[in-house]
Parts: sequence; structure tokens; C-alpha cells
Amino acid sequence: MRRRVPHLLGLALLAFFLAFPFVYSANDYPYVMHIMITSFFYAILASSWSMLAGYAGQFSFGHIGFMGVGAYTAALFSHYFWLSPVPTELCTEYRFGETWLVVVNPIGVTSTTLTQDCLRQAMEMWGDAVQPTRMPVWIGILLGTLMGGVFGFLIGVLVLRLRAAYLALFTLGFAEILKATISAEIEITRGQAGMELPALFESGVTLFGHTFDKTDKLPPYFVMFGLLLVCLAILAWLAGSKFGLFVRALREDQDAAAALGVNTTRYKVLVFVVTTMMAASAGAVQAHYVGIVTPNNLFLLQMSLVVAMAVIGGVESFIAAAIGAVLIEVALEMLRNSFVIGGVEIDMTIWRLVFFGIVLMLTLRFARNGLIAPLIGYFTRGHVARETVEHRLHPRAEEAAAK
Amino acid sequence: MIHLAVSNVHKRFGGLHALKGVTFEVNGPELIGLIGPNGAGKTTLTNVLDGAIKPNTGTVYLNGQRIDQLHPYEVAIAGLGRTFQVTRSFRRMSVLENLYVPALATRRAADRKAIHAKAMEVLEFLTLGHLRNEYAQALSGGQQKLLELGRLLMLDPGIVILDEPFAGVHPRLMEIIYAYIRRVNEEGKAIILISHQMDSIFSLSQRLLVLNFGGLIADGPPDEVKRDPAVIEAYLGTEEEPEGDAGARDDATDEDNPTHR
Repeated sequence: MRRRVPHLLGLALLAFFLAFPFVYSANDYPYVMHIMITSFFYAILASSWSMLAGYAGQFSFGHIGFMGVGAYTAALFSHYFWLSPVPTELCTEYRFGETWLVVVNPIGVTSTTLTQDCLRQAMEMWGDAVQPTRMPVWIGILLGTLMGGVFGFLIGVLVLRLRAAYLALFTLGFAEILKATISAEIEITRGQAGMELPALFESGVTLFGHTFDKTDKLPPYFVMFGLLLVCLAILAWLAGSKFGLFVRALREDQDAAAALGVNTTRYKVLVFVVTTMMAASAGAVQAHYVGIVTPNNLFLLQMSLVVAMAVIGGVESFIAAAIGAVLIEVALEMLRNSFVIGGVEIDMTIWRLVFFGIVLMLTLRFARNGLIAPLIGYFTRGHVARETVEHRLHPRAEEAAAK
Repeated sequence: MIHLAVSNVHKRFGGLHALKGVTFEVNGPELIGLIGPNGAGKTTLTNVLDGAIKPNTGTVYLNGQRIDQLHPYEVAIAGLGRTFQVTRSFRRMSVLENLYVPALATRRAADRKAIHAKAMEVLEFLTLGHLRNEYAQALSGGQQKLLELGRLLMLDPGIVILDEPFAGVHPRLMEIIYAYIRRVNEEGKAIILISHQMDSIFSLSQRLLVLNFGGLIADGPPDEVKRDPAVIEAYLGTEEEPEGDAGARDDATDEDNPTHR
């Protein structure tokens, strides 16, 4: 029975998050929903990073960079690729039946003031007669996910021979280079000005018989929550398969795993590809949800936050890492409320980060496997010691019971 | 029929000539002892055989397949398994999971049920059955050595290299290792046994290979090898030690060896 407790708690959590948007009805509904969506975003990053670092032992600090690859791929795609019923004759364009695929020319950050890109020029000429349309958002998210996988493959191949601190520094370098490149390439990425993206449901969507416009929080809530569930399901499947067994062997001793027939190169690259695709998909969805992506999204501080969430939850359990991410994101927001003690106002917008840092330090010092993973372990492995003693005392009891 | 052919293998680490033209063959289920003083090149030879280190020159063939340029996992699948001088169990994985790894990697067993059944049989044989669900880190040093031997049974290679299996092991566990060696040999596998425990190696081995300063100085039945003047000199020394060559090392690792994959 005890071993089933985590499953039952998991089902309870699932029911809670499915019901939450319909049950919660306070005035701060949009704000709370935003926090929940953001916490799901971090949960995807933390749980996928847990598979990479906690299961496979690949301590990559480039995860936020891969998230950025997904976000910027989706942003570039939605910014530069349009569909038009007539050719602009100004842009690079390709005909597909009755539709033209228009590739907008990059003009940097001056587009809205001094000059216009080729499509805007054409639209000015057309007036209301022709309405070009954006490419479907889901294609951008898919491309962002695939691009994350391509980058994950390349980085995975490059770090094959690197271990521990060298791997961490290399991946950190990748994320920083990516951020610097995006900042510098103003012509294409609009640099620090960032790139605007259409909403996940730009034209609104009808759910449960109710029509939601693009600013409503419920549709993105279920998109991000659905993505989190898909990622967790994939991670659970991988962890329970030989993939999970081999990447853990890789973490424990790469040479010994190879000597036992494990193709360590394949699994090291594979774990990079899978987890970076998850980070990239989360980045792409989050970028469409927020509506803008800037190089600041790729700050090292963001990576530190993801690592801290996974560590506090428990880095060797992707479920614990995901729960840790949700709890910490919600706690950090709840701790924003300042209060007064003896006439002195405590500004929690600053002090909450101190609190967070202290929790992280205490976790690292006293609970190396996080705060949530040991709880899960209590239920899933708590019986092992008792069984070991039983098997030693009565070695044939189990066989007799089986007969 | 197992056939391992090691031909003129040289390995250098910078100025250090670790293996000097090592040549020998293994034919069938032989039980071979590999001995030599510290730094003779025993572990370097093991690393060359299992693909962890590529030789500078020379070839290694296993059952007609050249394996000296293969990755370690390919060598394992080709049929050569090894243990390590310092036990390298997967410490934060359960005992059973440690055994599943080689079986699933090589796919020698039909399905998971068969793999589990074989793992349980191996654990019972090694007296580790009651520890099946414990993490390997909970096992004693001797039990971890047994676990490493168990993984080789799951890998099921044609030739097994056991690197110091008796080091630091309680006499009761030693008996289990003796039984293990006999079982593996009776299953038709060849065994190369590396040990500094002369009593054990002389009593178990049918044939002895002796390495000294990277060169193979003797190859024959234990009784003959024991009387070989070169072997006596290598172990007891003479008044004049060889000069001009740093000799081979036992403990070459990938940290100090750039060619180590």
C-alpha cells in the first residue's frame, strides 16, 4: 500500500491542477494563473534538467540556452515568415498553389519608425484589399523544439569527452555565446529590443463552450500544463526503460558502463537531444505566451533558478524537480508581500531572494538529494531495508510463497 | 571455440614504453594467470584488450574479428569482458539494476523476464540474493567485488579478464570467487586472471603469462614458469636493475593518458 502513495498523490496533484482554473475565482485570477503557467514552464526546465544532470550526470549549465534556442526559433519564424494570397514583389517569396510564402527582409530595430520591411511596404500599397497571415504558431513551436534538438545534438557531440567542471563550463560558455550573439545580431534578432511574437491563440479559441480571447489565461494554462504532462510522461517512460538504466550507469561510471556493452556515446548524445528538445519546446511556448523574447531571458540567473529548483526538489528525481519548481515559483511570488515589524517595513521583493538562497544552502548542506525526492524515496524504497533483513533471515520464504 | 590472438602489441605513454611487443594466444577455455611486478604493464594490457586504450602498433583478434580499434562497448559485445582493479560498481543503482545493465546492453537474454530470472540465479550463486534491491553503495567492498563478477556473468562473454579479484577479500568470499572461476571456466569461457596472490594464481591457473617492464618474459605451465630464471629475477631482482627505461605502469587512467577513450 505504501508504495502506491506517490501514485495516489500524483493523481491528486493532477486533479488539483486540472480543476484549479475552474475553482479559483478571486480578483487576482489572471495574476495567479500567470504564476501557475510560469511555474509549469520552470517545471519543464527543472525536470528535463534533472534527467540530464541528476540521472545522466551531465551537469550542463546551458539548459537555459536551449530554452532560448526554442524561443528565438519560434520568434524568428513568426517574425520573418508569412503567407500571402498575392505576391508582394518586394520580398523573397515562394509560391505554393494559391498561396505565397513571404520571407520578410531583416531591418533591425528601426522597422516601426524610420523604415519598413518589404511586407509592411506591400501592405501599405495593398491597403485593406489583401491581408497576409502569420504562419501557424504550432509550426513555430515544433520548429523551435526541433532546433533545440539539433543544438542539443551538436553540444552533446562536442562535450562527449568532457566531464564535471569542464562540461559545466563548456555549456555555460555556449549559453553565454548564444546570448551575446542574439544581442549583437541586431539586424536579425533586434538585439536587446527583443522580438514580439503572436499569442498562442492570436484569434482566440473556444473551449468548454466558452470563447477565450488572446489575453485570457485559461488556454495557455492548459497548453503549458499539457506540455508539462507530455514531458513528464516521456521522462517517466525513459527513466523506466533501458535508456534510464544506461544513463544512470553512465552517471555512475562511464568506463565501467562501456566495458559492460553500453554505447556511452549514443546515450550521452541522446540524453542531450531529448532534454534540450524539452527545454526548447518550453521556451517556444513561453515566448508565444508572454508575447516577447529578449536576450535577458537567457541570463545566467535564470539557469541558476532552474538548477536551484531541481536541487531543492531533488535532482535525481524528475518528478521531485518538477514539484520543486512549482512550489518555489509559487513561494517566490507569495513572498513578494512586504510587511511591517515594529515600525520597520520589510521589503520582501528583495528579502524573498535571500530566503530562497538560504533554503538552497540548507538543502545542499543537510539534504543533498533535495527536500521532495527523499519523501518519494520513503514510499518507493522504504521497504527495501526490511525486505533485505527478511530475505537474509528466511531466504527460501519467498520461493515457498511463490509456489 | 574461443580464440584470442594478441600480436606484437606496443603501447607508449610519451617516453614510457608500457607494452613492448606483447604476443600470445588464448585457445579455448583456458584458465590463464597473468602476473608481473607492479608497473609491469598488466592493467595496460587489459585496457588494450578491452578497447579502453588503443595500441600504437600490433593487433588483437577475438574469434577472427579484429578488436584493437573497437570501442570498449563493441569489444564487450564481441565477447570480451573484464573487471577492474578497483571495484567500479554502479553505486547509486540497486544490485539487480547493476546486473540488468550488461544483459540489456548486449541483448543476450531473450526478454526482461529471462534477464530477471538469470540475475536472480547469479545473485543466489554469489550469495547476494537478499541484497537484490539495495543500492550497490550499501554493499561491503568484498560484496561489491562479487557484484562486479556477477555483472560479467550477465554479460556472458567468451573471454573474461579478472583484475585482482582476491584483493582485500574475506576468506569466505574468496571461496565464492574460486567457485565463480570454476563455474565460468566450466561454462567454456577462457579466463585471464591477474593477481598478486601467488598461492591462488598458481593453484588455479593452467598456464601463466609473466610480464615485466612491458615485455612478456614467460608463457607456460605454472611449474615451468616458477623455475624460469627470468621470472625469478623479475620477482626477486638481481644486484643490477635494468636502466634507461621507466617501465610500464599498472594504473594508467584517462586523466594521464590522452589516448584513453
